Amino acid sequence: MAVLKTMRDSARNKMDTVLLGAMIGLVVLGALCIMSAVNSLSFSNAIVRTHLVALPMGLCAFAIGWSFNYQIYNEQWKWVYGVILALLVGVLLFGSYQRGSRSWFVLPFFSMQPSEICRICTLLVVAAFLDRRGRAIYDTSTLFWLCVLLAPVFGLIMMQPDFSSVVVTLPAIAVLLYCAGANLFYLGLGALLAATAGFFTLGWTYLYLHPELTEQGVGRVFYLLAHNGWYIAGFCVFVGMLGWAAWWFCKQLRIFLPTLYFILATLAVLAGLAGGIFVENHMKPHQRKRVETFLAPRSDPQGAGYNVLQAQIAMGSGGVLGKGLFSGTQSRLGFVPEKHTDFILAVAGEELGLWGMLLVLGLYLTILWRTVWVAYQSSDRYGYLVCAGIFGMFFTYMLVNFGMLLGIVPVAGIPLPFISYGGSNLVSSLWALGVVQSVYARRIGV
Amino acid sequence: MAAIKTLFNGRLRYLFTAALIVGGIVALRLLDIQVLRHNSYVELAERNRTQILYQTAPRGRILTADGVALASNVPSFSLYYLGSSQQEKEYLQRVAADIAPHTPLTPGQVLAKLEESGKTGKATVLVENLSTRSTVALQELQQYYPGIYLLEESKRDYPYGPAASHLIGYLGSMDEREWKKRDPRQGYRLTSKIGKNGIERKFEEQLKGKDGGVYLEVDYRGRVKRIIQDKKWAAGSDVYLTLNFAVQQAAQEALKNSKTGRGAAVALDPRTGAVLALASAPAYDPNVFVPYADQEVPSSAKRINEYNLAIQGIYPPASTFKIITGAAALEEGNIDVHRKITCTGAYDSGPRVFKCWGTHGPVDFFDGMSNSCDVYFYAVAAAMGPAPIERMQRKFMFGRPTEIDLPGEKAGNMYGPTRRARNKTYWFVGDTLNLSIGQGELLVTPIKLAQFAAALASRGNVYRPYYVDKIVSNQTGKEQQVGETKILQHASLKPSTYDTLYQALKHTVDDGTARRVKIKGLDVYAKTGTAQNPHGADHGWLLAFAGREGEEPSIALAVFVEFGEGGSSAAGPVARAMLEAYFGSLQPSVSRLEE
Repeated sequence: MAVLKTMRDSARNKMDTVLLGAMIGLVVLGALCIMSAVNSLSFSNAIVRTHLVALPMGLCAFAIGWSFNYQIYNEQWKWVYGVILALLVGVLLFGSYQRGSRSWFVLPFFSMQPSEICRICTLLVVAAFLDRRGRAIYDTSTLFWLCVLLAPVFGLIMMQPDFSSVVVTLPAIAVLLYCAGANLFYLGLGALLAATAGFFTLGWTYLYLHPELTEQGVGRVFYLLAHNGWYIAGFCVFVGMLGWAAWWFCKQLRIFLPTLYFILATLAVLAGLAGGIFVENHMKPHQRKRVETFLAPRSDPQGAGYNVLQAQIAMGSGGVLGKGLFSGTQSRLGFVPEKHTDFILAVAGEELGLWGMLLVLGLYLTILWRTVWVAYQSSDRYGYLVCAGIFGMFFTYMLVNFGMLLGIVPVAGIPLPFISYGGSNLVSSLWALGVVQSVYARRIGV
Repeated sequence: MAAIKTLFNGRLRYLFTAALIVGGIVALRLLDIQVLRHNSYVELAERNRTQILYQTAPRGRILTADGVALASNVPSFSLYYLGSSQQEKEYLQRVAADIAPHTPLTPGQVLAKLEESGKTGKATVLVENLSTRSTVALQELQQYYPGIYLLEESKRDYPYGPAASHLIGYLGSMDEREWKKRDPRQGYRLTSKIGKNGIERKFEEQLKGKDGGVYLEVDYRGRVKRIIQDKKWAAGSDVYLTLNFAVQQAAQEALKNSKTGRGAAVALDPRTGAVLALASAPAYDPNVFVPYADQEVPSSAKRINEYNLAIQGIYPPASTFKIITGAAALEEGNIDVHRKITCTGAYDSGPRVFKCWGTHGPVDFFDGMSNSCDVYFYAVAAAMGPAPIERMQRKFMFGRPTEIDLPGEKAGNMYGPTRRARNKTYWFVGDTLNLSIGQGELLVTPIKLAQFAAALASRGNVYRPYYVDKIVSNQTGKEQQVGETKILQHASLKPSTYDTLYQALKHTVDDGTARRVKIKGLDVYAKTGTAQNPHGADHGWLLAFAGREGEEPSIALAVFVEFGEGGSSAAGPVARAMLEAYFGSLQPSVSRLEE
């Protein structure tokens, strides 16, 4: 008995059971939802089979992540970085072209999407880099070298292109930087840049929806900013003068801020404009549709707004208790689009009801909670950063998926780990949790 | 180590707090969607998954007081194709070839629809609104070819065609404005036909039933999965009119066969003010607006004449107005009804000589009335002046609409010296004379004269005529009384005035211009009139009321024949047909009175 007790205690010491429980709960819920969602499809057997094969593989990945000492990724970060580049270059060379992007390896028995693994690997590499920079985190050069490090990775991803990887990874890296103690001003700059670019993109799309506004007044000026060189130049001068004026006022008011800050802020706004113009001119029609749908979801219920509307109808008609597994009319009859991948939550909402949705949300928050909890117990800074990165990633997944369904964020086509169908995503997500468990197993005081 | 940690100690915690806040917002929004707005989303989900093959419910019938349906329903059929497992071109061609002869479509058109339906899997309507003629064969084919589906619906039908068509109105498709006005709860569809005029329009809500339908479960592309339920329709409520079918039919027929085929006839019950018949010629056949699909209607038939002469035609009342002049003289003129005035064929008013339509010799009041002698009434009017005539017009509400519940009724025109005074022009003796025989600026509608006839027959009750009796629900059997007797005004004259008038009008029938409406066994009181028409042939009038011998009058009518020339010759036969129909229909055992 005493032996058993010791074994149990040591197992408890090595693995966080709460995190494990939340993970298993989500995986089981996910399997049920997928089976129910694809029940009516002609290729349902193939999907369920693939998912059931991916599950043990994911558990293996979890075991590997847990049993390996996470510090290996820190020591061998160049190798990890090399693997990322190799996978991304490989998929561009040998990958198969499906649904408008070259992001799949088709192997004899299964297919895999390397960018899913690369998301986690990228976080590990960035964590390692930030750990090495240590106290120099405040330096501008850190940011510069980080950009140099990430440029090839994102460049390769955009060549596929894989939009959703970028959407998930960038916020996770921002979280990493924040948690690593980066200068808030630089994070603020990044946010300013993103906000400016987003503002211009949304604004111009809004003008697309209301062409009459471009006839005169503010709308006309705003419209020309995207299409007329003189207006762009004028805007640049205007922003520059604004920056100079701010600097001058600060000087007069005896508020001493580095001059560099004003220059960078001005440049960030201009870069945002440039980014906005780039997006405006290179946005594909279906991407523009998504932005339009976000701005005016009810404008075209049969077209682009259809998906979100149908997903909401599915959830709303589910009520508190849901219609029961395999009984949702919205999903069974195909009104919910992409029901086993992007919109799986709508199926859960329809068939399991409010309780099912709250359960999924609760389990996700539990995973986030335990990841934070583990982070603060890690024996070194690297473990902390790895946990922070993984936290950032899952937070983003949760935010985008729930937000999309509730009409808070635009439809991005990002799956929900553990719940959505997708072997590569399941395997890499389970591996990520394995890494968190590894940090826990090697915490302070063990 | 610890020093490093303190540097960023709080940051991950802040982020987790942010995650909790996000979770809270999501939970609240979920509560909103899944609990608060649950019901509306359930409705949307149901609407998503059901396709309804509607079955138009029977509209309520429109019946006369004696129970004859002027508007009823006949079955019509819609042919659907719900898709089938067999999709070979050869098979579909065979189906199309077999179906097409029973529809107005060609085999090619049917095949195209079948193929379209096969491709999308949607339930498609092949033909709507087929008559029973086609459906016997199609019903057999339905057994033979799975996927063919015949659905019974209901279609409006007017068995007697133009009978009272101006009262009943007709059906038509909704235009955009009308569609927007509809309450969605009433279950209107874009293809629903609604009442466009008359009773069909006025009682649209009551007449319309609740459509039934076959509810199909469909997927997001409209492909049929299964039949959920088959909902039976509910017929609309029946509307009972006060019309007497025989009288209405007789009036309609007689007007059609009259000299010009143009005119109006209105009959009222002088005891209640209920309309017994309201016919206007030319009439239209409302059936042309609800044809079967396999029935051809020439487009010229749809250009109908909605002009309702009975309430919208205004003409001088001519000699029928002599009753007013006579009543005024009896009431206020202190005339001796037996004093004779010699008619030489003309009356010299001084500035002008007024002609009579004949030379009647010495005539008293009764002869004057029965022969419609103009000179007699010229003399009476000249002696009494125009004021009593105008007062008498006001008593019987001339120049005011009868207020029958029909759109577009004309008021006509009252004529007298006060009118002239208001217009600040002069009143001449000649005007008095013109007025006395119902010419001049005086104008009335046929229904106005019918109301006047009913007022005479009831000794002074000027009724507001009504033609809808009650509405009876087919679902609950509940009756709703709609029409009721309403007396607008009581023309109180001396009883002796009425007696004398009755005597004179009886004399007109027995031995005067209205001999054509003399019927054995009945007391008929009548007055004819011929309205001078400077633009063409004169118009014929006849005003009458009648009852069984010795009983009080039970029908009052006015007949007008446009360009009919003579009041007696044109309007007489119509009135006679109506009276015979009325008293024949009241007691069929009584044999036809006098040929």
